[in-house]
Order: sequence, then C-alpha cells, then structure tokens
Amino acid sequence: MSDISQSHINNKVGPVMRQGDLANAVAEAAEIDNPGKAITVEDKLAYLRIQTDGEMFLQRQTIEEMLGRPFSMNELEVDLASFAGRIDTKADYVRFHHALVL
Amino acid sequence: MALLGRLDWYNLARTTNWTPGSVTEDELFPPDMSGSMGIPLSKWESYDEPYKQTYPEYVKVQREKDAGAYSVKAALERSEIYEKADPGWQAVLKLHYGAFPRAEYSASTAEARMARFGKAPGMRNMATMGMLDEMRHAQLQLYFPHELCPKDRQFDWAHKSGDTNHWAIVAARHLFDDMMVTRGASEVALGLTFAFETGFTNMQFLGLAADAAEVGDWSFSNMISSIQTDESRHAQIGGPLVAILLENGKKEEAQRIVDMMIWRAWRLFSAVTGAAMDYFTPVADRKMSFKEFMLEWIVSQFERALLDLGLDKPWYWDQLVADLDHASHAMQMGFWFWRPIMWWNNPAGVTAEDRAWLEEKYPGWSESFGTVWDVITDNLLEGKKERTYPETLPMLCNMCQLPIASVPGPAWKVRDFPLEYKGRSYHFCSEGCQWCFEQEPERYAGHLSLIDRFLAGHIQPPNLEGALNYMSLAPGEIGDDAHNYAWVETIRAARQKAAA
Ligand SMILES: [Fe+2]
Ligand SMILES: [Fe+2]
Repeated sequence: MSDISQSHINNKVGPVMRQGDLANAVAEAAEIDNPGKAITVEDKLAYLRIQTDGEMFLQRQTIEEMLGRPFSMNELEVDLASFAGRIDTKADYVRFHHALVL
Repeated sequence: MALLGRLDWYNLARTTNWTPGSVTEDELFPPDMSGSMGIPLSKWESYDEPYKQTYPEYVKVQREKDAGAYSVKAALERSEIYEKADPGWQAVLKLHYGAFPRAEYSASTAEARMARFGKAPGMRNMATMGMLDEMRHAQLQLYFPHELCPKDRQFDWAHKSGDTNHWAIVAARHLFDDMMVTRGASEVALGLTFAFETGFTNMQFLGLAADAAEVGDWSFSNMISSIQTDESRHAQIGGPLVAILLENGKKEEAQRIVDMMIWRAWRLFSAVTGAAMDYFTPVADRKMSFKEFMLEWIVSQFERALLDLGLDKPWYWDQLVADLDHASHAMQMGFWFWRPIMWWNNPAGVTAEDRAWLEEKYPGWSESFGTVWDVITDNLLEGKKERTYPETLPMLCNMCQLPIASVPGPAWKVRDFPLEYKGRSYHFCSEGCQWCFEQEPERYAGHLSLIDRFLAGHIQPPNLEGALNYMSLAPGEIGDDAHNYAWVETIRAARQKAAA
C-alpha cells in the first residue's frame, strides 16, 4: 500500500499513444529529441506510454523523418489518447512538462 | 501569397469577447449558466488553453480518426470476433454499450453549455469542438452495437437504456445529470472535463482498450481508444479555468466541485470498469487488475495533474485508495447475485484460475469474498440454484445509487452512513457520498432511489415481476449466468478428480 499512497509523487511527463506506426515514430522521436534523458516506453498492447522525467519535447520534423512521410504537428492528435503532465502545442513541436516540480 | 501559420492567427481569431451594449454582462452570461462566480468578463481574457486547435484542422483530424475507426470495423467484420468471444467479454461489451452511448449526448449538452456560456473565449472555442466530439462518441457507440442487435437482443440496451428506470441507469443518470447537464459552464469544466475526462474516462476508454486488445477485439479497442483522443484534447478545457479561479480567489469553490465529481466518478467506475476488468474479461487475457489500472491512470497520472494545477489532494483520498482493494469485488458480487435485473449475462469469474488470479492481485480475496463464492458454488454443486437468487433488493446509496456494500468474511464491517434531512432519512454507502449530499442538500434531497420508489409504492406489483417491468427488462433481455453455469461443472470435475 505504501507504494500506492506515494506514487503520485513523480515528475513523469509524456504522451500515451494508441498503438501503430505513429506511436512507434513518437517513441523514436522522444529518444532523439531529448538527448541525455532516459525515456521509458511501456507497451500495453492497445497503447504505448512514453515518458521521461520533468520535460519532453517532440519535434515535428523528427516524427516526419521517423515516419518517412510528411507530418504536421496537429496530426499527433489522431493517436494521442492521453498524456502525463501539461502540454504545449506549437506548429513545430509539442512539449510536455509540469508547472510544479515534486 | 504565403498562408499564415495557425498559431499566427489562432489567438486573434478566437478572441470573441466584446463589451455588450444593449444588454448587461449578466444578461449575456447569466451567472447560473456560466458559473462565473462574480468574476468579470475582463478577467477571463487571460484564459490560455494549452491544446490549441482550429476548426479546419479539427475537421481534417476528425475525418482521419473516423476513417480509422470505421475501416478497422469493416476489415474485421467477417472475423466474427463477437461470436467467437468468451461470454465474459460479451458481457463487457453489453455493459459498456448500455452505460455510455446515451451519456455521450449528455456530455455534448455539457460542452454546448461551455461553448455558449463560458466567459473565456478559449473555452468557447474548445468546447465547440468538444460538443461535436461528444456527438461522435454517441454515434460511434450506437452504430457499433447496432449490428449486434440481431445476434443478441441484450444489445438493444445500447440505445434503450437511456429511456428506462433501470437501477444502473438511474445511478449513471444521477451522476451524469449532476455533472454534465444541470450546472454552469465553470462547474462543467471542473467536474466533467477535468475530474472526469482527464481522470476517469482513461480507465474505461484506454485501460479497457488494453484488455480488449488482449482479448483480440481490435474493433472495439481501436474505437474506444480513438474516442479518448478527442477527450485528451477537450479535457484540457478545465486546466486553464483552474488558473483563473485561483487567481481570483476561488480555489475553495474549484476544489469543492472537483472533489465531489472525483468521488462520484470513482463510485460509478468502481462498478462498471471494476467488474469488467477484474471479472468479465477472461482470466487468460487479464494482464492488469482494476487496482493496477487505477494506480497507473488515477494515482500516478491524474492525482499528479491535480497537484500541478495548484489544487489539493481530495480530503477522502486515503479512503479511496483503501477502497481499491475491495470495491470491484463487492460490485461484481452484486451484479452476479442480482443477475435477473441486469441487461447482460453476468459472468461469475470464479473458476480455479480466476480465484488464483484474484488472490494474487488482491491478497486476502479468498478469505473474504472467496468465502461467499464458496457458499454460492456449493449451492450450485448441490443443485440448489434457487438459493443463489436474491429474495430482496440491496440497500442503495442515496448519492451514488449503488448498493451499500463492504468486505465479507471475519472482518465484515458493512456500514451505513445515515442522515436525517428535513424529516426524511437518507442512507449513504460512504462518508464521501454523504459529504457530496451535504454540499448541496437541496439539489439532491428530492431524488428517490429505486428502493425509495419501492417503499413509496411506485413499483407495482412490489415484487420481482413488478421490478422487471418498472426497469423495462423484457423477456430475452433478463440476465443470467454468462457461461450458463459451465464453470460449476469444471469445479465439480476437479473435486471428483481430487477425491478419486
Ligand atoms: Fe465522450
Ligand atoms: Fe468528453
């Protein structure tokens, strides 16, 4: 029980993607766009939970390269089923972060 | 000519507040409808939605989502997933479709409330899309089960449920009407979009999608997770509102609504999602327990998000976490025992493999809930099926409308939380439900639970037949054991083998 009562004390951020090509591309982009950070990918078959501590960037261009086809940032929504932390949506990147660091 | 990028014009395009000339601000935005809490129009300008979407992009993205959901369905049509599915999984589908599609229309009404009466321009923009999202959810979740109606009449409940006084629908409607339909824009944003959609809908629309994928029902898995991509966008309506409320000294009001709606959502989901995850989904495909999904989605992710917005952990949080050990088991036992008043055939979920799984995921299960299932199993083995049917109705909570229940076994400690209010006795299942009532007693006092209706003589004749009629359960829809008691025979065979 102790782990449940403490497990909200974390700084994990990042997208939860429906499984598929885009999810895999985003998992790869997370590695590339956040150098030096440990990225975890939990595979729940229907979805991938892609996370890191504190802050995560996903660049449009990196996802495009991983997909091997043109990609506009708002297409992320097609498979972005949920996310941990807050989101900033920009034309060329999205950023996940927390306002309050625990 | 180069086109402007979306973010170059987004803020300007959605800045649609003006100073009303011929009516007052309160006539334009009646305080009850907008939930403005006395905060003037100018203060709402700083509302900054983090998830920006424009209408042309919305249409494009939604079209792609729908193409995906319907094409997966079409591609799998001939694989007879439903016919080949375990009856336990069929029960998941029936429960899901009976409980949610019609509520999506209520959610659309709620979004419309924010789209018209929200004082923040950004809220109105996001809620306009949210309103369309929720129509999509209703339509998808009515279309998919519709083709199952000829195969199994219980699917008629996907649409019919919303017009009935079925006990479970009374419970769902009590929450959804409270949270979605009958409050101002701010309360809707706090209760529905923040508490419910950044929190609990993830349990049913992503957690359960994971179970569906394990079962191999990709059509359902893909469709409900696609719905959650809409939620993930419009659920962000609540966050920036909290910032405005906090800046204007309204933290207490925000916290109160959020606390009420988290508790209320928790109660409903412990029944619907809890039983589906811990019992209905076939044990071989059940990777995570309801408690483990709650840890992932509600504790690690949602509770964390709540703190990030500057709100506090709800006062009852430790109780909610403690309840994770038993809530789903109590609800499942009620579902199965009162199976004639369900619109689905309820699996028992207590084969030897199920029991081992339950004991592993919930240590102590065998000594508590297991002992009750022992009695049921023995009665069935001895051919005394009549003893496994209810003769009375469960006491229902006057807030969540679900049975008042607790953990059986040596530590049996079922507790009723009674309250006298203006000469009437109310009964609650928990401190949380009683607290919700006490927040706004006049709002809730007039409602009669199914049991209250029995006692008031609304249900005639006052027996099972009258109850089935009242709840619109037609012959052919009435629930029974999902596996037609085949699990009892596997236990009999195992016992005979052990004895020999
Ligand atoms: Fe919805
Ligand atoms: Fe929604």
